[in-house]
Amino acid sequence: MTEVTITGINSITYPHLDVWNWLVAIYLFLGGLSAGILIMSAIANLRKWPGSASGPHCEKGVMFAPFILAFGMLFIFLDLERKANMFWFYLTLQPTSPMSWGAWGIMIIIPVSFLYALSTAPPESRHNLRYEALIKLSEMLRPYMRRLAMISFGLGIFLGIYTGVLLSNMLARPLWNSPILPVLFLTSAASTGAAFLIIVARRAAVKLFYTKLDIWLIFAEIVIIVLFFYGQYNSSASSKASIMPFFALTHEFFLYFLAVFLMAVLLPLALVMKLIEMREEHADVLSEATIFKMNLSAVMVLTGGLIIRLALIYAGQLVKFM
Amino acid sequence: MSKYVMVIDQRRCIGCMACIVACKAENDVPEEHFRTRVIQEVEGQFPKLRMELRSELCNHCDNPPCVYNCPTGASYKDKETGMVLLKKNRCVGCKACIASCPYDARYIDPRHGYADKCTFCSHRVAKGKEPACVQTCIGRSRIFGDIEDPESEVSVLLREHHFEVLKPAAGTEPKVYYINRILKG
Repeated sequence: MTEVTITGINSITYPHLDVWNWLVAIYLFLGGLSAGILIMSAIANLRKWPGSASGPHCEKGVMFAPFILAFGMLFIFLDLERKANMFWFYLTLQPTSPMSWGAWGIMIIIPVSFLYALSTAPPESRHNLRYEALIKLSEMLRPYMRRLAMISFGLGIFLGIYTGVLLSNMLARPLWNSPILPVLFLTSAASTGAAFLIIVARRAAVKLFYTKLDIWLIFAEIVIIVLFFYGQYNSSASSKASIMPFFALTHEFFLYFLAVFLMAVLLPLALVMKLIEMREEHADVLSEATIFKMNLSAVMVLTGGLIIRLALIYAGQLVKFM
Repeated sequence: MSKYVMVIDQRRCIGCMACIVACKAENDVPEEHFRTRVIQEVEGQFPKLRMELRSELCNHCDNPPCVYNCPTGASYKDKETGMVLLKKNRCVGCKACIASCPYDARYIDPRHGYADKCTFCSHRVAKGKEPACVQTCIGRSRIFGDIEDPESEVSVLLREHHFEVLKPAAGTEPKVYYINRILKG
């Protein structure tokens, strides 16, 4: 039997860490989502589409990326204890700090992704940009669309990995301190990006293209999640203890079990729905029922992405490095 | 160049908690927050019990994860003294240092928002004094000094005694050493 009495407890660290909450989870989710949109739209815009002229294929979706990322930044800004000091992020580059790399990276990604989005606007819908300067800029950037897509692809990969490295770099938190976490976050980011583009895309071919991609991504995500838990279980005592909240089946940790349960239902269900969609014969114009099913499975993937981040942020603070 | 360390001789700690009080008074530590703590761990079945009194504070690591994770350079390792210190004006309160510290040595100062910590009373050390917790320690359980000086009390103690550090597997190379720490397992 052990009895522990601690004099001098800081509530932020005892009985468990309490520093990051849903604000950070939303930031990671939105960051991942914009990364996924950039990666997926770049793939669609760079590939050769059989039977159609090459050109931008998901122009509406790309435009969301910089705004989603900026909106995500708002959440991390709200989490800062000294908001007025935020300018210090941009007066230094700390090479060992993922957060420093991320702060600078986001400052580059937002304008580049905006330029990429402008370059994808087709001539017939440029008037939607409203401002003359934007329309002219869009015309000017059009010839560079492929180059901007390549750069955005790279930046999307960086952003997707960064959201995972931000947590996996924390030696003191064994649930986060896993090299698989950045891979999981990148895969989840790409999957949520594809899901988002399925919802906003108008053309049947584009929706089906992303559905096909998302099947592989969801499959990879499920495998990586299983490997993540398996790796933690077979690692050090701290790592093993860190996944305990997800399988404890007690009142205290019920929400963590629920997160795993929802993941185990939502992702495979979305995968099966997408497989069925791909097996069906589709006309050039999709029926309302098909669009509803596609959107429903996409919403499941987005919900799964959010649940992963919320569960990992909160559960990662329950167990310390022993 | 100096490298300041603390030796905690657990044989001499009586659990009076004067170190905690002295630290709070010296450093104006806000209410309900602490830079140092004392853990009293009793193990076994009555009457066969053993008790460990363990003072914990920032370990001023040579390989400090809080410094590596700080995005603004607010947390830094002082080259002259080896202490891990904070440039308060630079801190944005992102809490990456708190999340990365395996010793849970940091807290957010609710009055100012920065992630504060033990400084080994660097302001006192600069004047040739000992940290407040060391000066007040009635049993001389806490000993502070320059490990680079072979004649310092800490160097002699560490030469002559077996010592342990907290969580050595973390690879942080802590600079708070424990003599006669009761090991578990």
